[in-house]
Amino acid sequence: MISLHQVSKKYETPAGVFSALTSIDLEIAGGEFVGVVGKSGSGKSTLLNMIAGIDRPSAGAVTVAGTPLHDFSENKLAAWRGRNVGFVFQFFQLLPTLTAAENVMLPMDFGKSFPVRERRKRAQALLERVGVGRHADKLPATLSGGEQQRVAIARALANEPPLVLADEPTGNLDSITAGDILDLFRNMATQGTTVVIATHEADIARVIDRRIEISDGSLVRGQ
Amino acid sequence: MTTLWRKAIRDFWTERGRTVLVVLAIALGISAFASVLSSYAILTRELDRGYLETNPASAVLRVDRIDDDLVAAILQNPEVSDAEPRRTVTGQIKAGPVQWRNLTLFVVKDYGDIRVNKLEPEAGAWPPATGEILIERDAFQVAKAEIGDNVTVKTANGTQQQLLVSGGVHDVGQAQARMENIVYGYINLATLVQLGEEPYLDQLNILVRNNRFDEAHIERVAANVKALIERSGGRQVRRVDIPSPGKHPHSDLTGILLLAMSSFGLFVLLLSGILVVNLLTALMASQVRQIGVMKAIGGTRWQIARIYFGQALFLGIAAVLVSIPLGVIGSRALCNYLAMFLNFDLKSYAVPVWIYLLVAVVGVAAPLIAAAYPVWKGTGVPVRVALTDFGLSRTTFGAGAFDRLIARIGGTISPLVFAIRNSFRRRARLALTLLTLAAGGLFFLAALNVRASIINTLDRMFAARKFDLIVTLSRPYEWDRIRRAANDTQGVTHAEGWFMTDGSLDPETRFSVTALPLNTQLLDFEMLEGRFLQPGDTNALVINNTLASRSPAMRVGAAVTLRIGTTQSTWRIVGLAKEAYSPAIAYIPLDFIQQQQPGMVNNVRLSLAHNDFDSISIVKENLDRNLEQQGVRARGSSSKAETRFGFDQHMVMIYVFLIVMSVVVGSVGALGLMTTMSLNVLERRREMGVLRAIGATPRIVWLIVVVEGLVIGVLSWTIAALLAWPVSKALGNVLVRAMLKGGVDFVFEPWGLLIWLIVSISVSAAGSFIPAWKASRATVREALAYE
Repeated sequence: MISLHQVSKKYETPAGVFSALTSIDLEIAGGEFVGVVGKSGSGKSTLLNMIAGIDRPSAGAVTVAGTPLHDFSENKLAAWRGRNVGFVFQFFQLLPTLTAAENVMLPMDFGKSFPVRERRKRAQALLERVGVGRHADKLPATLSGGEQQRVAIARALANEPPLVLADEPTGNLDSITAGDILDLFRNMATQGTTVVIATHEADIARVIDRRIEISDGSLVRGQ
Repeated sequence: MTTLWRKAIRDFWTERGRTVLVVLAIALGISAFASVLSSYAILTRELDRGYLETNPASAVLRVDRIDDDLVAAILQNPEVSDAEPRRTVTGQIKAGPVQWRNLTLFVVKDYGDIRVNKLEPEAGAWPPATGEILIERDAFQVAKAEIGDNVTVKTANGTQQQLLVSGGVHDVGQAQARMENIVYGYINLATLVQLGEEPYLDQLNILVRNNRFDEAHIERVAANVKALIERSGGRQVRRVDIPSPGKHPHSDLTGILLLAMSSFGLFVLLLSGILVVNLLTALMASQVRQIGVMKAIGGTRWQIARIYFGQALFLGIAAVLVSIPLGVIGSRALCNYLAMFLNFDLKSYAVPVWIYLLVAVVGVAAPLIAAAYPVWKGTGVPVRVALTDFGLSRTTFGAGAFDRLIARIGGTISPLVFAIRNSFRRRARLALTLLTLAAGGLFFLAALNVRASIINTLDRMFAARKFDLIVTLSRPYEWDRIRRAANDTQGVTHAEGWFMTDGSLDPETRFSVTALPLNTQLLDFEMLEGRFLQPGDTNALVINNTLASRSPAMRVGAAVTLRIGTTQSTWRIVGLAKEAYSPAIAYIPLDFIQQQQPGMVNNVRLSLAHNDFDSISIVKENLDRNLEQQGVRARGSSSKAETRFGFDQHMVMIYVFLIVMSVVVGSVGALGLMTTMSLNVLERRREMGVLRAIGATPRIVWLIVVVEGLVIGVLSWTIAALLAWPVSKALGNVLVRAMLKGGVDFVFEPWGLLIWLIVSISVSAAGSFIPAWKASRATVREALAYE
């Protein structure tokens, strides 16, 4: 499903060159639930960005579902992401002027993946699935953190992507809500979706299939 | 409606204060554009239509005498559709006890059958009975008379008579009486006889049958008619005038003014576009993380850009909706003002559909074009960069040399230093804001400078004229008789007899000739080249700049053969005199005329002890009586003050235009500043929270924002002040040259700088007041939590 071959990423900063990833080789199979664990600044988010095509490697190759991402233009990557990747952020990143349902409909509008009349129905169904169906018409500011993250997960599932990436999805939630959210991801993986979660929390062992540990931009365990 | 459109609309709703400001600014620009464009369409249509409805003469022939047989003979010409004789007599009129006014009397044989140059009855009697006079509607205020009044009228050759003002008429083809300071009167032939004039008509107005708007054709027909008249009974045609076919005499002037206004309308539109750039740049900056999220979940650059282009489209549509009614109101006001100025009635304010369409297209397109760069740039930000953005204060102040220079501006009051440095943080936005504000200042200063320059030009022109009163005589009279009358008139300090006639270099180069005593004390021209006439000169000639521009042969040092009156003679041009806004005039020694007409003059120039309005009126009255006692009949008189008033009236249109322009541009500038300040405050809300958290009081926060606005205001003033000189000079020359065929003697109005500084500071303070108040009211928690 996911293949990274000798992927490195370096950033030019005013303070000098910063190496975020160094020679990463990684294979993730379809339907696998992988946890990428590491400290803050270890390179977890950069690794996820490489897989999502949000960032490009300085060296090496990234192939997702047989698609070599490093060859794509920004626009092609966006369209590809819309169809193939669901992304969940630490701070939820719901668009504040759209309701929960509208936030979920947004990827469908971008990808034109469902007929216009079905989008609202599907958004409602996804929100029901993650347990916030009753909040469909509320704006994000009126929802709790956990509710917002559930909406964000529903949004990530909008186009039925084969791959869901989550960057610290529980980092801003209390432990009970975090547990509920992780269960949602577990269910997705059980149903065949490949899930990759970046986290610095150690207690996700109960839900993941494989644990990858990253430190200073290099994989130290779990290749 | 897709979620993308919903986002576009709701984002604007959350920013409704700023959105309203920008919509207003764009609407102001579009309204100005729509007003001027509509006025242009309405005025050119109505002016020409109203004028054409009067059946204006294709050609006017001045003939010795015209009788019915001659008119009948001319009407036999198949190329002439109509011909109607009239007469124009000059004289004076007074309604009160002392005040004489110059009068042009139009004599019509049959008011029931006016077919050419039609008159429109306005009030009172129609037609005028014998012993009655109708007055042109705009001339009532010049005559100081009303319907029912008895007025005293005297013509050049007749006797003083009382006439009843029985009605008012509208004569579309005449220039506005109050500007010309002249009374237009309408009488019949029997009244002319009562006034002591011979009852003949001498002006033939003809209409061509075909090709009414073909000047060459009209010239051919007029030449045929002229030949016919000269063949019939030894009559002579003294002059043939062919007005611009189908065009009101002021049509070109109106066109020039409206063209200038249209350019200005476009300029305002451009300035309001700058506000859109500012708004959308800020909006894009504040939404950078949202853009990143949208890209992360599959949005392409173009899909996301469409949201913001949609917002620009909304701005345009909202502005068009606001501006169309405003534009209609503006165009009505402008049309009414110009119609009043040009003395004609508007029968329809209907705006052509193409103007609505053009305004809608321009109104919608302008914000879209203005949005193109910020939207494209904003949506091009890479996803990773967008997702790691903190949403606020992304500018890296301090990295550049200019920042370090600004950082050296120190002081002990840190909030003030902070405010000054803040002004320079968003330099592109600052530049655009300064551009709009400075443009307002520039137009304001230009308006004052152009006004001051025109006044200066007129002051210098009138300073060269040392006489206070001109009396035009009905024919040449002996100077001795006039001198006696002048000497007997209290208040006259000096009098000179001059002689006015016509001259020509060739048939195309015709000009006025003023013959004056070589030791004249009543003229002191600024000489552009050579010298003025001096004692001992014989065939020496001084020309004014208008005459010099007519022919390359008219240059200082050249010898030219001229026809002056009926005599052909050779002259040497000894000087070129500066005479602004004047017809072409040649100045020659009076002796030349008096060799043929010894001791005769036809024009009197007088300097007076007092030149206030009442004193001049009394002198005019007494002088007129004394001249009558000497058997001298005056045809008319005008004081320097009256002439100056006429010039000033012509300039009012330019002043009004410039002031309106500066107010509109200034308003757009003020809206721009308000938008900028509110964006600056919005972007730095978290920073304000930090300031509050470390001890700044709401008042200090308020002060920082207001001072930032004031810095922008003072900077804009500085730019306007630096550019005011060259821009005012160029604008003044372009406007005055286009409208009056002459430049200006430029002067800078220093008070303008002070006034605009006060306005800039006030506008800046007012523009930043509300954003500052909002910033100071936010709680620390709200400010720090803002994303």
